[in-house]
Amino acid sequence: MEYLKLTPELVNDWKNALSASEPYVFKRVMDSMNQSQLESKLWIIQELIKLDIKPKRVAMLAGWFAQYTVPLLYDNFESIVRIENFEIDRDVKKISYKFNKRYKEEGYTIKIKNVMFDKIQPKGNGQEDMDTIINCSCEHMYPMWKFKELNLTPIPRIQKNPLYILQSSNDNQHEDHINCVDSEEELIFQSRIEHVMYSGSKILANKSTRFMVIGK
Amino acid sequence: MNTILCVKWGDKYDHTYVEKLKEQCEENCTVPFNFYCITDKPTKPYDIKIPAEWDEYYLKNRGFFWAYRKYYAFALDYGDNLDIEIETSTDLTSSGSIQLESGVEDFSRIVGDKFLMLDLDVIIHQDLKYFFDLPMDKPWIVRGWWNDIHTVKQNFSKHKSTPLNSSVIRWDRGQLKSVYKDIKKNVEVIFFTYPSADNYFNHRWYNCWEEEKGFFRAFPKGDIYSWYKGNVYPDDMEIKKLRLDHKICLFNNSRETDDVEELKSLWNI
Repeated sequence: MEYLKLTPELVNDWKNALSASEPYVFKRVMDSMNQSQLESKLWIIQELIKLDIKPKRVAMLAGWFAQYTVPLLYDNFESIVRIENFEIDRDVKKISYKFNKRYKEEGYTIKIKNVMFDKIQPKGNGQEDMDTIINCSCEHMYPMWKFKELNLTPIPRIQKNPLYILQSSNDNQHEDHINCVDSEEELIFQSRIEHVMYSGSKILANKSTRFMVIGK
Repeated sequence: MNTILCVKWGDKYDHTYVEKLKEQCEENCTVPFNFYCITDKPTKPYDIKIPAEWDEYYLKNRGFFWAYRKYYAFALDYGDNLDIEIETSTDLTSSGSIQLESGVEDFSRIVGDKFLMLDLDVIIHQDLKYFFDLPMDKPWIVRGWWNDIHTVKQNFSKHKSTPLNSSVIRWDRGQLKSVYKDIKKNVEVIFFTYPSADNYFNHRWYNCWEEEKGFFRAFPKGDIYSWYKGNVYPDDMEIKKLRLDHKICLFNNSRETDDVEELKSLWNI
């Protein structure tokens, strides 16, 4: 069973992140930390380990505060070189850095970018291409085929055939869930994943069904 | 040259609204101006046929980005190429001896280089000359000062509580071409993602964290207020109150109520 390591450094970072969250942001921070959120992120780690996949350079799309995903990846995969979180919300940037301050030196960064409009552009020369794309927010955005199309070569930021780890939901009670799906097959179809390495569904603590696809 | 634009489509508003807006402009603008209505049913000399290029992207069951027809006007630029694909149907109803053209030729009839776009459901209180005299280093749009900025930020990714309102936009010819091009380039994503154009403007062309850094500049407090939402948060939020010392009153209501009759009764003030 995978787990999130509760270390003194984690506790310190999280304390600082929570105390820095202004009241209008605080509820969102709490929403990002519920049981279902952690279940979803642990599920990724479990399946990656089963598949013996070792991600190195990870692009997280709409990764939100990423207080679970970032430590889970760094703690479970020695292969991780860097993680970059592409978000649209400037409040997220500040707080996510605080949650994950201990990983900043190791290569955790956040960029403000809408990935359905703009390509992932290179940050600097000499960096190797992203090999893994994680999007646990597919229900919040246009189907993922668009991202793939937008980032077709030539773009020196994503490998020609990266691994995609995608999650979506059938929970359509939220108005920002603009693209819910009813099955993992629908998520595969939307993202035009041709080589499916894993697909499945899971009923979360909040009673919604979450779907996950891993593939290329 | 000053040009006032409005857009009318569908059945919610009939042509009396356009006439009323034109009448209000004539009564409240001390500088010369052209007047055009971009519409799906052109019947008057000032009518311009709405392009149809984006119709195919509008998802009826979804209803997102529903006011997209307003934003063809952003294509107005210098030179001949409007960059709009317009159907060349001649199925127009004309009145009198006015012979309306269709297609690009019709849209190209819009002259002027200082544009003020107004929704049909507004009440003008003061001289519109003010808007044509604004400094134009950036285009101007309504900042809904009735929104609590914390709520705006809190709901940024939820497409709620947008700080912007496109009921009044002021720009110089060519100044919004980049917005038009962005809509054109990302049309499928935009029509799928954004419930309203105001959400899109907020995400792509504004910065509610550092408001002075956005592509648009906000009309200042005291210029424009909302009949249904108030004026300035938190101090002046009384709704359904006329503020005659302001320039324009909006009737934006998030399509929650039928505002037509209420607006008509206020026209008689």
